[in-house]
Amino acid sequence: MTLLDSISIRSPRSWVAPIAVLGLLGLTAYAFGANDYLVTVLGLAAIYGVFCTGLNFFMGYAGQASFGQNAFAALGGYGTAILCAGYGWQPLPALVVSTLIAGVIALIVGYPTLRLRGHYLAMATFALGLMTYEISIEWNGLTQGYMGYSGIPPLGVAGYELGSDKAQLVALIFFLLAGVWISRRLRESRFGRAVRAIAGSEAAASALGIGIARYKLAAFVIAALYASVAGSLFAHFIGFISPEVFGLQMVVLSFTMLYLGGIGTTWGPVIGAVIVSLMPEMLRGLSELQDVAYCAILIVILIFVPKGLASLFDARTARRAEVSTSAR
Amino acid sequence: MSLLSVRGLTKRFGGLLANDTISFEVPEGMLLAVIGPNGAGKTTLFNIISGVLAPSSGTVWFDGRDITALSAAQTALLGVIRTYQLVQLFKDLTVEENVLVGSHRITRGGIAAALFRPRWVREQEGRLRDEARELLAFVGLGQMGEVFADRLPYGQQRLLEIARALAAKPRLLLLDEPAAGLNIEETAALADIIVRINRGGTTVLLIEHDMSLIMKIASRIVVLDFGRVIAEGTADDIRKHPDVIAAYLGDETTADLV
Amino acid sequence: MLSATQLLQSLVNGLGVGLIYGLVGIGFCVIYNASGIVNFAQGVFVMLGGMIAHALLSTFGLPLAVAAVFAVVLVAAVGMLIEALVVRPMWNRRAPLFAIILATLAAQILIERLTLLGLGDQPRTYAEFTAGGPLKIAQIAVSFQLFWIFGSGALMVGLLWLFFSHTRTGRALRACSQNREAAALLGIPVARMLLLSFALSAALGAVAGILITPMQYTAYNVGTPFGVNGFIAAIIGGFGRAGGALVGGILLGLAQAFAIVIFGAGFKNVAALSLLLLVLLVFPNGIFAGLKGAGKEP
Repeated sequence: MTLLDSISIRSPRSWVAPIAVLGLLGLTAYAFGANDYLVTVLGLAAIYGVFCTGLNFFMGYAGQASFGQNAFAALGGYGTAILCAGYGWQPLPALVVSTLIAGVIALIVGYPTLRLRGHYLAMATFALGLMTYEISIEWNGLTQGYMGYSGIPPLGVAGYELGSDKAQLVALIFFLLAGVWISRRLRESRFGRAVRAIAGSEAAASALGIGIARYKLAAFVIAALYASVAGSLFAHFIGFISPEVFGLQMVVLSFTMLYLGGIGTTWGPVIGAVIVSLMPEMLRGLSELQDVAYCAILIVILIFVPKGLASLFDARTARRAEVSTSAR
Repeated sequence: MSLLSVRGLTKRFGGLLANDTISFEVPEGMLLAVIGPNGAGKTTLFNIISGVLAPSSGTVWFDGRDITALSAAQTALLGVIRTYQLVQLFKDLTVEENVLVGSHRITRGGIAAALFRPRWVREQEGRLRDEARELLAFVGLGQMGEVFADRLPYGQQRLLEIARALAAKPRLLLLDEPAAGLNIEETAALADIIVRINRGGTTVLLIEHDMSLIMKIASRIVVLDFGRVIAEGTADDIRKHPDVIAAYLGDETTADLV
Repeated sequence: MLSATQLLQSLVNGLGVGLIYGLVGIGFCVIYNASGIVNFAQGVFVMLGGMIAHALLSTFGLPLAVAAVFAVVLVAAVGMLIEALVVRPMWNRRAPLFAIILATLAAQILIERLTLLGLGDQPRTYAEFTAGGPLKIAQIAVSFQLFWIFGSGALMVGLLWLFFSHTRTGRALRACSQNREAAALLGIPVARMLLLSFALSAALGAVAGILITPMQYTAYNVGTPFGVNGFIAAIIGGFGRAGGALVGGILLGLAQAFAIVIFGAGFKNVAALSLLLLVLLVFPNGIFAGLKGAGKEP
């Protein structure tokens, strides 16, 4: 085996992390200097980054399908909205409580649902997402229906509010980095390996003593917690939420980000979130054809980089040669 | 007392009788092989012992406990570790990570441990990685730790599976046709590894087709045909057994028997 | 209070819509069986069927039958385009199945946008196939279009059955669905079968769209609800079973009609989804796959 071979089949080096973090910070700094609109876009990218990191945990690491994580984002978003705007709570306690509620509901809902497999699981979770959407429209008294909930205060601590968008962006980036750190920590542990083993082979995993149902449920709840936090952050950042925000578009966007960025990797969800968020900006000039171009570019990327952009950093997919048998 | 005791196992799939009142004992430390023509019910037997399938009747006793009703994961946690006929590796994990997963049953640590990494976790991880490297060296995959599992050629994947099973420090190791698809050299290396595992004190229960492998390493053999035990004994006993010869008549492996 | 007549009327209409869902669901099954892909562009075929038929009728004044045939052929061509330009390249690069599914979804959105740009956002419709008032059977109005739907639906299902069981190509397609490698080894051109499955599926969707338009309307965005409901129908029936998809669709149509009557239009989707969840939890593999519990196999 040549030296080149021995390098290229090994797992990705950890230089992706510093580059990704620097890239994020650089973008943030640029946005500060540029216009306010970019700050908003980047903020949304960070929020989706959190959402997708959680989604990645369930779909990338555990290898399961969930088309309904937006339901938990809705729970987080509306929870925060109701507690803060409706009852005058402080943002952080409201975030914690909403997230806890989302987690409990994920536990209850996940327990029977996760017995399903493949597209049945996908469909059931999709149904959950749609039902939450419908309920948030119909239950006027609680959610103010399709008109949406406004007047949500920005993020803040102990009475001090983060007044400007830029300040909130910094907080959001912090949340994002924290979320990625947690995801990484979980991934590289006995727990994370067990979850990833389930994606590899349920039969082999259970033959080694891993309780499949328990770990799947854990991954599902983790994803739900991330989604809920993302929902709450969105509510604070934009100050206004409506059922549409947590609807089908969120599902489609998040999947696109996840697959574009590279599912199953640590930074893939973030890379995907940033690129998909920035792309409409770059296509602004095309006006009417903007959406068409957007979809077309998505399709092209999916065709040519099917494992996602993060895989370009992952040398093992960059080459296709076989390992020689003399490697002993 | 036997480590494993199979008592009257019967398994019906609709009209098909896959296992018919199978009984045998496996004392601790033995290397026992289960052989038989295709369709004799060997894998079904393994599936029942390892907890994947429930028998139609009969019981399985391990270390003095009735484990018939336990699930696959529960059975594995007791130390009954199996490998599969079709290699079931964790493709998106590296070779070393595959082995680390193997040690699941003998380690602790959930989400909190993962997040906060207290000292005992870090020490455990260090120990696990050292042990994983030793196991990989033991099966001959010493340099391959960082390679992704699906990159290995077939023969090495088989060895990885065994290393992974060993990481669980099994009390009973069930190997389902470990030599399937291996060439002569690889089979010989495999035989050597299995014998060394057994000599190290691990009880091994082996399903195999490859007669030469069985005859060389098994101390006791159980022969199945049409779901029933038709013979049991040492390699010499089996070689001369009229029922066994009849069952294999016409099979090219008969040449190895006589 | 709800009268039996109202209920029955509602159920009869629901049956019609349900059959449409069933046809869409069969379309999902055809592609899934040939490739394992869940084609999320299925709904767009329904939309295109209605929209193109309308365009041909109003712009060129073609007779209905001609317009319908042209529309079906055109939509089938669109289906093949999606296969050739989006699915096949990813398939050849061994993309994960889910990425392919996502790409079909992007294709659906793209086509919707193009339709919006090309034909505008106005909902439109055309006349029922047979003029004249609804048929009154004991106080229940059965629109003539409903008969067309039942009849055409039955015809399509019958033709499909004939195709799959009595033609070489049909049997080849079934072989692909059962074991792709074996089929390839037998000389069946698997790639071409995939193309065919998309064409067939698109044609089914188009027919469904053409049939239902007179009873509702068509617009650039009607594809998604039909796609979702068709998918639910396929799931209920046990994904991959065409007969099951049909029954699933009918069940769904009936359940929705029921829900609209009892709970009001707003809860129709919640009702449909609750039904789906209920079915899935009791029959984790769809109704026709039978009961399979969790844990050890019996």
